[in-house]
Amino acid sequence: MRGLHQLDRSSAVAGTAALGTLAIVPVIFPGNYLMGVLTVAAIYGIWAVSWDFMCGLTGRENFGHALFIGVGAYAAGYMNVQIGWGPWWSLPIGMLLSALFALLLGFPTLRLRGPYFALAMLSAAVIMQRLMLIFWEHTGGEEGIQDITPLIRNHLHYYWFVLVLLGVITFVLSWLARSRWGLILRAIRGDEATCLAAGIPITRYKIISLVISAALAALGGALYAHYQLQVSPQLFSIVTSITIITMVYVGGMGSIYGPVGGALLLTFLAEGLRDVGEWRLMVYSVLLIMIVFFLPNGFIAPLWQKLRATLRGR
Amino acid sequence: MAISFSRLHSACSHSLVAVLSPLLLLLQMPATLAQAPDNKPVRIGVPTAVQLQVGRDTITAIKMAVDEVNKKGGILGRKVEYVVADETENPETGISAIRKLLANEKVDVLIGGYTSGVTLAQMPHISAAKTIYLGVGAASPSVTNKVKTDFDNYKYVFRVGPINSTHQARALVDYVANFVIGELGYRNIAIIGENAKWVQDLVPLLSKGAKEVGAEVKLTELFDTQTSDFSPLLAKVKSSGAHYMIVIVSHGSSDILAKQWHDAQVPIPYGGVDVKSMDGDFFKRIGGKSISQVTVNFAVRTPLTKKTLPFFDEFKKQSPNYPVYTAFFAYDAVLLYADAVKRAGSLDTDKIIKELEKTRHEGVAGEISFDEQHDLQTGKGKYNMLFVQWQDKGERVVIYPKELRNGNFILPPWMKK
Amino acid sequence: MEILIHGAVSSAIYAMLAVGFTLIFGVARVLNLAHGSFYALGAYGTYMATALLGWSLLPAALMAIVLVALLGVVIEKIFIRPLRHSQLGVLMITLSISLVIEQALFLIFGSEYRNVPAFIQSKVSIGGIDIAGQRLLVVAVAVLAIGALYLFIQWSRLGSAILAISQDAEAAKYMGIPSDRIFALVMAISAGLAALAGVLAGPFLSVQPTMHLLPIMKAFAIVIVGGLGSIPGSIVAAMMLGYAETIVAYTISTSWTEIVSVLATLLMLVFRPAGIFGKRAAF
Repeated sequence: MRGLHQLDRSSAVAGTAALGTLAIVPVIFPGNYLMGVLTVAAIYGIWAVSWDFMCGLTGRENFGHALFIGVGAYAAGYMNVQIGWGPWWSLPIGMLLSALFALLLGFPTLRLRGPYFALAMLSAAVIMQRLMLIFWEHTGGEEGIQDITPLIRNHLHYYWFVLVLLGVITFVLSWLARSRWGLILRAIRGDEATCLAAGIPITRYKIISLVISAALAALGGALYAHYQLQVSPQLFSIVTSITIITMVYVGGMGSIYGPVGGALLLTFLAEGLRDVGEWRLMVYSVLLIMIVFFLPNGFIAPLWQKLRATLRGR
Repeated sequence: MAISFSRLHSACSHSLVAVLSPLLLLLQMPATLAQAPDNKPVRIGVPTAVQLQVGRDTITAIKMAVDEVNKKGGILGRKVEYVVADETENPETGISAIRKLLANEKVDVLIGGYTSGVTLAQMPHISAAKTIYLGVGAASPSVTNKVKTDFDNYKYVFRVGPINSTHQARALVDYVANFVIGELGYRNIAIIGENAKWVQDLVPLLSKGAKEVGAEVKLTELFDTQTSDFSPLLAKVKSSGAHYMIVIVSHGSSDILAKQWHDAQVPIPYGGVDVKSMDGDFFKRIGGKSISQVTVNFAVRTPLTKKTLPFFDEFKKQSPNYPVYTAFFAYDAVLLYADAVKRAGSLDTDKIIKELEKTRHEGVAGEISFDEQHDLQTGKGKYNMLFVQWQDKGERVVIYPKELRNGNFILPPWMKK
Repeated sequence: MEILIHGAVSSAIYAMLAVGFTLIFGVARVLNLAHGSFYALGAYGTYMATALLGWSLLPAALMAIVLVALLGVVIEKIFIRPLRHSQLGVLMITLSISLVIEQALFLIFGSEYRNVPAFIQSKVSIGGIDIAGQRLLVVAVAVLAIGALYLFIQWSRLGSAILAISQDAEAAKYMGIPSDRIFALVMAISAGLAALAGVLAGPFLSVQPTMHLLPIMKAFAIVIVGGLGSIPGSIVAAMMLGYAETIVAYTISTSWTEIVSVLATLLMLVFRPAGIFGKRAAF
């Protein structure tokens, strides 16, 4: 299968080089602010990649990805602050909880097509957000949970930790996407009836993909909680889900590695526009329109493919 | 196959995006690194909600105060500058704003704040950077509670304003006891507020205190900050048998509440803590529908201290609107910080903290001093809650406390007997 | 009794929003996330004309509605049509447009709530309950507008064309129905209805830059419950939602009202994805 979905040695080298560059940047340009932005961007990268694996391949856009993120983050906050467990427990617990949610929600909703699945997941995320507010005695309500202990106090080491996780997740999911698994997911996007006729248990594949996507999103959520040291209901909001979808879009849907670039680009864009003051979000939205309009296949992945093709032709 | 140059080249292109973007950010690094330390200006970081009135007024007030300090020679002979970062009402943006101010702009002190939740989220990051933070907008006691429970890490935090919600609750109880019951004769009250942290802290205290002074709390309800239709709530208040309605709202829709209360001609006067109703143009912008509403204000344009009138007049020159509460405290914060540094004789953080704790500063509407938790004190001569009523033509009349009263209380126009 | 009237008012507003939304989906398969922005612009347009230009209320409102309808047509032609093959693309671009409009409103008018004067200032007493006259006007106008729309679609030639396209776009084209022009017309109606809702509701609900969010979410929920593409479905679902929310608000607490719409959506999607009157299966 040619085109957007090729993974070969040059891509692997490029990926490693990119990761290496990202790792060195805060060493060359030290500063808490830059590192903060990079770390957050890397976590968004994890979220974007996890979304792309499920939705980019199957074409079932999940507009409620924030649900899984929030579950991971709140699990971390709750376990750490309210119950008092050590921070490292949040990672597996958050992932498990989120996987559970994915199973519960996935079964009834994955048979829905197009906008219906998107909407169902969105509704679920909104309900969770509301519940966090309604039960404010336990979840801190609008202000959320504060004073979460950091996983690794040294900012640089934490950044590298997150980067390593991002790299591993991206490579593993990329490999899965190029394997038979990915083939089946893409086939599901194309025509479910044919898949069924061919005897493929599509429901199982869809659910497992959603579970993987959810667990990884929760992992990102827990990492986020232990970095920002607080969680709030805003994490569940549609804004979070849409930001991630935009990152995937910009990166190139279905490519798995593209969304990492998308996450980096958009996070830096949002921060870099601070100087424009009140016009920040306006400029951001206008840029978004232009990207959606002129680059419907995204930006990062097609760029890489073109680069590679030209250099190969040499 | 050995890795050829072309592969390295393509790998570099792929990383291009990753590297270029941070460079964009770095180009904004301040160029002051070359200056000698003695001439380095003192930088104030202002994290605030730039798109809201509270944010805009914070910035205007800080600008006013900074100009004043610079005219008198600056702090320790050094010029004062300020830089703003938008914290919005969202904790994630708030944290990144603090990171930008501390790491990138390298400010010496932080003055600002509005949403308690955002401030609470920012605090661990502020404490890690060991920078002084003077809050001017967040009212939740949790902010200064941390000073008590973890002094070593959180001694940097001071609340210059507003009066925290615990004190606010007490002031409201006094109002209920002496005015609502004492003068108006209403014993049945309803308490409604927005579902935010500072209200969740305040309402239980208010409820308990009110009952202790003889009120009958007929209804207590917290509504969602996004509520845009209050008719169900107003109907409930009416049918509860309450004769006076106390509201506690800041982020929520005070405009709509007033309009809907007025349009439905609810036969229950209302008042309380209503931040948007502190805006000078509140009455006008809703077509006068807040008539007879009583709102708490921290300052109005009457000579509460020597500085009150000059502040309002100067503010009017800088901004078309009447200042909201963050403005008073932001202005005072800059000045009292400058004084503290002067007394400390240096920019050493611990020395400044010791001097800040001893503050007795004449502010715009009262004397500012801090308690052991670095929280603003209230009482005689200090900042207090003034209960101000909207009357005809948008006039604002202080009706409580009695010593500061300058007019008579009026009932809503449809309730005149 | 109060519940009856307030429920009717909520239902009326929701119906106007939902019908427009479902119309453009049924005909053009477009999920227009900027629909809420039309609602917002209706209210702001009226505000601007009355407060800043000094016009009187009725012409201001009419002008706002017409302008928003035109804007809808422009948006459809320039931004949506080129992306119609990709549903996600349409979602993203309409979303971005709604963000741009929201930010523009922030920058021009500021974040504070604005006051739009009401058509009817007085209070009306029905069965012992005091209702603001403006709210009753909403119900009356909504009934008239939607009724007129329904008649238009059922009885006029253009209306038949619209129905034809919504049933089978290909066949309609072969029959010579100018689908592009019909899309523009439908978009204008859809935007106009939303703006009408904004103009009517503005006086007693909130007028601030983020006012487009809640309506679009509610419209989405209603349209799903009623069945995407079905006007009667939207009306029924709007009434169900309006009354459910009002009942919950009066009996339990206003904090729970938001969950009602979302929960209804989720349950409907799980058990009967085509909605109540859905013609189009969701599978």
